[in-house]
Amino acid sequence: MTSLKEVFGGGARQFGMVFALVALIIVFHVATGGKVLTPTNVQNIINGNSYVLILAIGMVLVIIAGHIDLSVGSVAAVVGIIVALAIRDWGIPWWLGIVLGLAVGAVIGAWQGFWVAYVGIPGFITTLAGMMLFRGANQYIGKSNTVPVPAEIQFLGAGYLPEWGPSTGLNNSTLLLGLLAVAAVVHAEVRRRQSAQRLGGESIAPWVSIARLGPLVAVIAAATFLFGSGRVGTSFPVSGVILVVLVLVYGFVSTRTITGRHVYAVGGNKIAASLSGVNIRRTNFLVMMNMSILAALAGIVFVGRSTASGPFDGTMWELDAIAAVFIGGAAVSGGVGTVIGSLIGGLVMAVLNNGLQLMGVGSDSTQMIKGLVLLAAVAFDVYNKVQGKPSIIGLLMRSRRQSEIPGGPDGPEAGPVKGSKADTLARR
Amino acid sequence: MTTHQGDWTMALDEEARMTGENAGTRQPVLAVRQVTKRFGAVEALIGVDLDVHAGEVVALVGDNGAGKSTLAKIVSGVLQPDSGQVRIAGEPVTIGSPAAAHALGVSTVFQDLALCENLSVAANIFLGRELRVSASGPMDLARMELESTKILRDLTVGVPSVLAPVRDLSAGQRQAVAIARTLTTRPRILVLDEPTAALSVVQTAEVLMLVERLRAMGLGVILISHNLADLRSVADRIEVLRHGRNAGSFDAATAAPEEIIAAIAGATRVAMPSWARR
Repeated sequence: MTSLKEVFGGGARQFGMVFALVALIIVFHVATGGKVLTPTNVQNIINGNSYVLILAIGMVLVIIAGHIDLSVGSVAAVVGIIVALAIRDWGIPWWLGIVLGLAVGAVIGAWQGFWVAYVGIPGFITTLAGMMLFRGANQYIGKSNTVPVPAEIQFLGAGYLPEWGPSTGLNNSTLLLGLLAVAAVVHAEVRRRQSAQRLGGESIAPWVSIARLGPLVAVIAAATFLFGSGRVGTSFPVSGVILVVLVLVYGFVSTRTITGRHVYAVGGNKIAASLSGVNIRRTNFLVMMNMSILAALAGIVFVGRSTASGPFDGTMWELDAIAAVFIGGAAVSGGVGTVIGSLIGGLVMAVLNNGLQLMGVGSDSTQMIKGLVLLAAVAFDVYNKVQGKPSIIGLLMRSRRQSEIPGGPDGPEAGPVKGSKADTLARR
Repeated sequence: MTTHQGDWTMALDEEARMTGENAGTRQPVLAVRQVTKRFGAVEALIGVDLDVHAGEVVALVGDNGAGKSTLAKIVSGVLQPDSGQVRIAGEPVTIGSPAAAHALGVSTVFQDLALCENLSVAANIFLGRELRVSASGPMDLARMELESTKILRDLTVGVPSVLAPVRDLSAGQRQAVAIARTLTTRPRILVLDEPTAALSVVQTAEVLMLVERLRAMGLGVILISHNLADLRSVADRIEVLRHGRNAGSFDAATAAPEEIIAAIAGATRVAMPSWARR
């Protein structure tokens, strides 16, 4: 049982969502007669949804901290038009345009963070105001015109990794990325085993490592092949690379840094966090500011993909991002959620959209299905909470989780803590 | 080499004996002298004295508004006295804030548990004081988990796992985690404000066991409670406050409950009137 948990790790929602994602992909692949898992289609899924996934990464932190941000679509739009106009009219280089865009995002974030953290206006209200304010600003600045962006920005939003070196039958950049990913997961597994042993817990059975690594490596290999074997000139999208980097960075920030932990603490119990010395205002400010910076990045990626910035960019993005976060296991009351879960939640929505489209289902039915999926995912969560079941895996483990730390009369000399240490490390 | 080491151990023994000898007249780790606190016209404390020694559990009792919580807040740095002195290990100190109290070795567990239910036991124990791998590095999760395990084991508390979210714990276990939180800074004095309020019988017993463990660890414990039976079972000394004044000090082992209640209520033995004596 322990080993079973070690293999899957994580909570039931993530676990469930990964299976839902895999099941969705397989079902759609079969139902469409093999149109889903083709190089062009998976590239399209990533390219067409990267901006929502970028937003979901920021949004999950906002939601964990107990707020919500309704302004992300408008912020993305206003940043998009500023970047496009600055490059076209002021003649600044493309990279300076990106820096400018991110800086504008930071300023907008500081503005919203100020109202939420220091004045104490609920995030819902602050960002509802921001949604109108920045939508208007986009149309005011751009005079409701569509402004094209240069090729470099387009590369960011719709480009592919370049081809180089000897012919391997696959795109070499994608191949390299895949090999790096395999090396990274193997390295992480080796380190996990080492630290489990060093800290005196039970060592992890070899088959557990293999069972955990096997599917992961297989998935990476399959993805590498899929992305790398497309028509000449295509490969893993640049926006996908941005997304992978963001997931790694924010995954680390949310689980390993003090700031990240304080975000969870503020969302869990604001008063307790403040009594413990957590700077609540700073945490709220940073979360809101970070969201707007990511919204700015999403806006830049989007104008790159659509080759121009327009007055209706980013409408309803906030709702897509919020849906992704909740499907990915975040709790409405705050304090719960993960970056990787939100990514998976976003991908579920993306695959659903894509699959239904390929099957020829109209956008009316697609909307209805997406609404029901969101409801079902959150209902599953609420049901589990009402039943007092933390997770499916947690349920299976309940019997053996008792008294892992011997707190009996034997006192401090009662020998090493069995199991729990290895579990700990294995779960990460 | 051997003799050297022998000398050294002997010196240690000597020191231990000396401190042991001092025990009779030993210095209190916390001494409150003639402390007065007013809130406008209300005198919450008037010339209150309180001594707490290392390895001693002092219970603070009194009716509502007697000044127990005010005294606890002065010791934990939440309030500052208008006059009088607080000495820690003989040194007169000014405790300007809860952080200053922490630095001086005074920790407080407040009545409303300050825990984040969504975080794990280990995360709660180190919340706001997270350990880092290096000065500006990420959190040292493994070390925080091991330290938490150690602290909880020293308290002989059975918690399912330091990785379990606090949400999954019983009220008694949560109280234990709240107490364990304060031990990360290795305090000398621990103030427990109503630790058994709203706990079941079994959980109350668990918390009282915990208080005994704290005493065995050599901490000076100030315990505020309404429940005399609990206090008598765990405290060494019971200090009664009444209307902001010291109203008696009782040896918990020998004092009769009626005496303590009389002191709390301010009852005095009234001479029987002559007409009643027939």
